[in-house]
Amino acid sequence: MNEIVIVSGKGGTGKTTLAASLIPFFGEVVIADCDVDAPDLDILLDTSLKYEEDFVGLKRAKVNNQLCVNCGLCYEKCNFNAIDINIEINKTKCEGCGVCEYICPVDAITMEDSVVGQIFQSGTEFGDIVHAKLIPGEETSGKLVAEVRSRAKALATKNKIKNIIIDGSPGIACNVISSITGTSKAIIVIEPTLSGLHDLEKIHSLVNKFRIPILIVINKCDLSRDESYKIEKYCFDNDLEIALKIPFDRTIVEGITKKKIPSLYNHELFKSIGFNDFIDKLKIN
Amino acid sequence: MRIAVCAKDEGLNSLVSDRFGRSEKFVIFDTTNQEYITIENSAKNESGGAGGSAVRLLDKNKVDIILVPELGPKAMDAINAYELKVYSFGDSITVEEAINGFSDAKLERILTNTNDGHRGLRRV
Amino acid sequence: MNIAVLSGKGGTGKTTIAVNLAVNSKNAVLIDTDVEEPNSHIFLKPHIERTYEIKKKYPVIDTVKCTLCGECGDFCNYNAILPAKNKVLVLKELCHDCGGCELVCSFDAISFDKRDIGKIYSGKSQNDIPIIYGDLNVGEVSAVKIIERLREIVANEELVIIDSPPGTSCSTVSAVEEVDYAIIVSEPTPFGVSDMKMVVEMLRHMKISFGVVVNKSGLGDNEIYEYCKDEGIVILEEIIFDTEIAKSYAKGDILSYKIEGYSEKMSSIMNKVLESENNE
Repeated sequence: MNEIVIVSGKGGTGKTTLAASLIPFFGEVVIADCDVDAPDLDILLDTSLKYEEDFVGLKRAKVNNQLCVNCGLCYEKCNFNAIDINIEINKTKCEGCGVCEYICPVDAITMEDSVVGQIFQSGTEFGDIVHAKLIPGEETSGKLVAEVRSRAKALATKNKIKNIIIDGSPGIACNVISSITGTSKAIIVIEPTLSGLHDLEKIHSLVNKFRIPILIVINKCDLSRDESYKIEKYCFDNDLEIALKIPFDRTIVEGITKKKIPSLYNHELFKSIGFNDFIDKLKIN
Repeated sequence: MRIAVCAKDEGLNSLVSDRFGRSEKFVIFDTTNQEYITIENSAKNESGGAGGSAVRLLDKNKVDIILVPELGPKAMDAINAYELKVYSFGDSITVEEAINGFSDAKLERILTNTNDGHRGLRRV
Repeated sequence: MNIAVLSGKGGTGKTTIAVNLAVNSKNAVLIDTDVEEPNSHIFLKPHIERTYEIKKKYPVIDTVKCTLCGECGDFCNYNAILPAKNKVLVLKELCHDCGGCELVCSFDAISFDKRDIGKIYSGKSQNDIPIIYGDLNVGEVSAVKIIERLREIVANEELVIIDSPPGTSCSTVSAVEEVDYAIIVSEPTPFGVSDMKMVVEMLRHMKISFGVVVNKSGLGDNEIYEYCKDEGIVILEEIIFDTEIAKSYAKGDILSYKIEGYSEKMSSIMNKVLESENNE
């Protein structure tokens, strides 16, 4: 199986734009949107929902008001300020430690499963997409990302589909690690801004731990010559292949605005920058 | 001696798993009577510390040897604390191959962690 | 007064707006609560005057008193305590400091020590803009602790501008908790609108008044304007996309000093925010 993940050191560099642009060129694919904080890939894909399921995260405290005697012990002992003086639980602050349940003299508190998001499977004209959405205020979860990945993989195995395209989480937190683990290749999308090189260094050192081929894509490569040069030099010094350079072009945003995949919307532009060769490289297993 | 192998499915013909802490299951093979059982890895759904939790689970199941694809630093600390031995199953594809590799003394013992840590690694 | 600047996704210009609001407001202190990825100081290049070390507790086991009963390990929901054969292993990085292990230990064998999880730097830029930013250590999970400390440090300041973490995670919640006003920075693209909706949902739930700055306008379409109109959301300002701005940003410039009319836009945003507060 050929699992291709697209990542970036920070958000907003064009990761999702590139992921969408790849999708039409692999025959039937399975798509996994692991950017669960900002799940935008489906916007460009004209999806039809096949199923939706609640995703359960950690267990959280729940108070049974019938039993509670307002002794205030839980309020006192909670190190997360998640219980107020009226013995009401602040869900976003509860980290599920279980101290209140343990300390409660009248067994009025129990730890219960808490829904932190939803997971979906939808059909598109290129193949099915597995995507998810966190409820606002919930912590980005490596576990949810792992679940999206595993459902995508199961789908590909079942339908004998060779390629999985994964829109990874941005940044370098644990959810990013869950996006990358076990993939066949990683594409790093980077922008030539002041923090661009710094972001590249960080994501590179992370991806490097997985011993998989890395392809670098510089997006908006003509934004700053100086910063672009620094990125190219870094890649040269570290033996990293710059596989694609995308210039800033209004038709890319225009395509997104029209909810079209940019590489289809302005295919000429993508052809002129060597997109077809890039795709061929990605197909090699 | 009881040997645990990280596995995707049940039994000796199962494929090995590419994770340790988040391995789907563990197949535990007993060399004294050549019998095996498959257990669910309850640690795989932990939001953090799956490696250590998996070591604790295997210790409770009286395992002596663990065959893994790789190991993080926290799991390695846990292995040492529980005084277990761990070997890399290398290129083995199935659980049976991994166990045979171990019996033939072809597997390499892991003494320090083989990756720099997965979970909890927030920034690099 | 506390004003938070946030965005649904990265790359919309949240930090740029926060920095430039601070530059154009008298007596403003900027705090960067995006402690996993602090960026404001790259633009303001402050001279650091004070450093705070942020610490977090973790359990230490008294091996003399410990009977290896395993109660602490059974209680810990974070797998931070592993009661092994001859010792109890504490994995400090996994500890959330809930204090549960001490409570359940029947032999009084648990006490707590402290370890560094990150730093807070406080200083002033060349143009005397006070900035305080947090930086979370590699391998740490608890950004909230540093964010809460940042908010404490500026609790008595007259005007605080908060550069929030992107998205709607629990770090964002603690950065914007009880602020007087929130400014959402968004882009007029379908992605921008979709990500912004989650922020709107969060702010409404938290009962915080807010307005929107449409950054890079002219680059996308009208969806964001229609959405704001339908939802009755105030658009504070529009900043037209301009390649010069993008290039200046890429160099690390403070746009107010380089781009004509940028300062005026920032002052106008501030005035509208203050006005809306006075009307409440």
